Amino acid sequence: MTRPLEGIRVLELTTAVAGPIAGCVFADMGAEVIKFEAPRARGAANPGAPPALPDAPDHPYNRTPLYNELHRSKRHIALDLGNPEGRDLFLQLVAKSDIVLENFSPRVLRDLRIDYPDLCEVKPDIILTSMPAFGKTGPYALRGSYGPGIDAMSGLSHLTGYPDRGPGKPAQFYLDQSSGLTAALTTMAALRHRRLTGEGQNIELAMLEGELQLVAPALQDFTMNGRVQTRIGNRHAWHAPQGVYRSTGDDQWIAIAIETDDQWRALTTVLGQPEWAEDERYATEAVRHSNQQDLDPLIEDWTAQRSHYDAMHELQRIGVPAGAVLDAPEVHTDPQFLHRQTLVWADHPEMGRFPHTRTAWRSRRGNDGVAGPAPLYAEGNQYVFQELLGASDDTLATLLDALVIVTEPQGGR
Amino acid sequence: MTDGALGGLRVLDLAQGSFDYGSRLLAGLGADVIKIEPPSGDPVRAMPPFPDDEPNLETSARHLHLNAAKRSVVLDLDTPEGCDLLRRLVAESDALIESYQPGYLADRGLAYDDLLETKPDLVMASVTHFGQSGPYAGYWGSEIVDVALGGYLKLTGDPDREPVKPYDDLAVSHAALHAAVAVMVGLTHRDATGEGDYFDVAAIDAAVFLLGGVAQTYHFDHELPVRRGARLINTNPHYSYPSTIRPCMGGYIHAHSNNRNADLLAVLMEGVGIEELLDTPNGNADEIDKRMDLWMADKDKFEIVRRAQELRLPFTEVLTPEEILNDPHLKEREFLVEIEHPVAPTTRQPGAAVRMSATPWHTERAPLFGEHTDQVLGDLLNLDVAELAGLRERGVLA
Repeated sequence: MTRPLEGIRVLELTTAVAGPIAGCVFADMGAEVIKFEAPRARGAANPGAPPALPDAPDHPYNRTPLYNELHRSKRHIALDLGNPEGRDLFLQLVAKSDIVLENFSPRVLRDLRIDYPDLCEVKPDIILTSMPAFGKTGPYALRGSYGPGIDAMSGLSHLTGYPDRGPGKPAQFYLDQSSGLTAALTTMAALRHRRLTGEGQNIELAMLEGELQLVAPALQDFTMNGRVQTRIGNRHAWHAPQGVYRSTGDDQWIAIAIETDDQWRALTTVLGQPEWAEDERYATEAVRHSNQQDLDPLIEDWTAQRSHYDAMHELQRIGVPAGAVLDAPEVHTDPQFLHRQTLVWADHPEMGRFPHTRTAWRSRRGNDGVAGPAPLYAEGNQYVFQELLGASDDTLATLLDALVIVTEPQGGR
Repeated sequence: MTDGALGGLRVLDLAQGSFDYGSRLLAGLGADVIKIEPPSGDPVRAMPPFPDDEPNLETSARHLHLNAAKRSVVLDLDTPEGCDLLRRLVAESDALIESYQPGYLADRGLAYDDLLETKPDLVMASVTHFGQSGPYAGYWGSEIVDVALGGYLKLTGDPDREPVKPYDDLAVSHAALHAAVAVMVGLTHRDATGEGDYFDVAAIDAAVFLLGGVAQTYHFDHELPVRRGARLINTNPHYSYPSTIRPCMGGYIHAHSNNRNADLLAVLMEGVGIEELLDTPNGNADEIDKRMDLWMADKDKFEIVRRAQELRLPFTEVLTPEEILNDPHLKEREFLVEIEHPVAPTTRQPGAAVRMSATPWHTERAPLFGEHTDQVLGDLLNLDVAELAGLRERGVLA
């Protein structure tokens, strides 16, 4: 079956998480994505790596679960772009490609002289998708940051957490997934523009500016009303009651979210307190919102006698939005996720079979899923330098001797 | 509205609330996005905040942001004529995004298969909390329910407290973003093959996707990941640290390091004896926090970040909404835009999510309720004034 992006070649010059996620969407949708890694980007040791398969070679650098999740379905090469010959090989490859995807600080491509104008010289309709943390201009352009640091600057940290404690953070690094998908969206839009006009372009996704789209209500509340929003824990901004309540077992919880008066009435019956529906302290959403802390112990008396799943199903049966607070193994076995095949399995040659998380869509025509496992380190050297660029065996050997191309990571720890 | 990377594409937007984010991005990229609202309005119009906290169909901050650069048509899909008008609009469009409860459109003869009869190569995405089928498809969803089931909630918050929900509608917005990407995948497929596609998008899946790496790491080490406050979830003692939020003068900073520049921490915090902790930094997280706190207690947050960044340590400030609105970097980049509106006061709202050198981003003001009903039905379906008046009288449109 043909995937929608088949025939598109993406050169992925990325680090950390956000850039690789953008490449992942392209790779899963059928593009040939070639991940570039600098020979000294990391070392060959990898403390804490999972064990190798019994009959596989012991290359710990091939066994990082997150890295392999983020690079599934791609090719991998290790090339020194700081070396003139390395840069030349890269530009030869650009001439045969459609997209260059990168998420380094703006100084990196400039210093390597492979910025947008340099790429256009060899491939006038190239699409360069850049994902700088803060943008290519402005006082913070050269600041470094990873996802959680940008979550902090976007206001998400200030707005996430308990009202009586300091700023928190969303479970992982929200920004990286969100920037990666936004970059994939925009790059596909640029491909369409190129199909219609023949024109390429440079996309600048300042990760901070993508994330600020989601903080708009708090920003506008300040400009409209001078109100500085802050952490509200598990409360909803206006619906009530909403909270996370203890269920049976250690660290087991259920989330309940009442959004309508009907749902509130249903909850009062399950709690055995139908008179609360008319009680002046709880009858309307506005008063419920002010008084919901009084309801917490009463709701928890009920939830604490049930498992999170039993409470969820019992509440959902009467039309109350409720969800068991699941952990990783429960997500693996939950019937809805199994039904949707949210996690799919692929065989990695050195780590064995492990799960990959699909994007959130299912396609009627099979335009979803995971195209294949992650590549081994430098597995694509022969394909890229010989098949695509026509280097002879001797040339390849010389480049390997000079460490312009490598087959194992050369960095320190 | 025909310029932009998606110029010339028409998208019908039957999404609601924070699910509006996906079509907002397509509108920003230049698609002609026509929001089809029920007579009660897109529910996002009723969602706070409002200027002076006074509810008004036209002034919800969320509506002004999420429906920017779209047009508004009001159709009553509880009438056969309203459904028929929608079918005819589908015939004139490329894609459709919707977020109704599963079954809502099918009950009205507007399921994907029904719509294929009028538009054989339609690209459509349904984005809901649980998806279109499966044991929970009929359940009631909500942001906090999505992050609970997706495993995201349990990993947010402090280990000694109940899990805590991340800000606002992150999973729902993320699902809407996936729906927008799915529509682009479908349009790419259509342009290559002439076939349409249908996408079933779920917010609970978006929540799992946001967990990046947790399922994979758990599979290998079988150690139950736990919430660690502002720290990364990874508990490998060799892993880099800090990655956390700590107090200082004037607020909080996000302190970050990685294994390649850990020695720089000792340069930044000279004299606090942090060197001895850096062989297994993640294993010494508590002690590193203690020493950072002592060092930072009398130092200003902006000054700490300035000094750290000079050393190329990726520290950042934890900013409040007010600080963001006054941030010199965003000002110089003219990121926040002021948009005039006939009813709402001029506010500053986020500008371009992305900047493209050849094609513009769109931030035209959000449409008034039903502002384009006559224009769209007149231009696309050739309805004349008398026909529109009749439909209006019968309550089919507004």
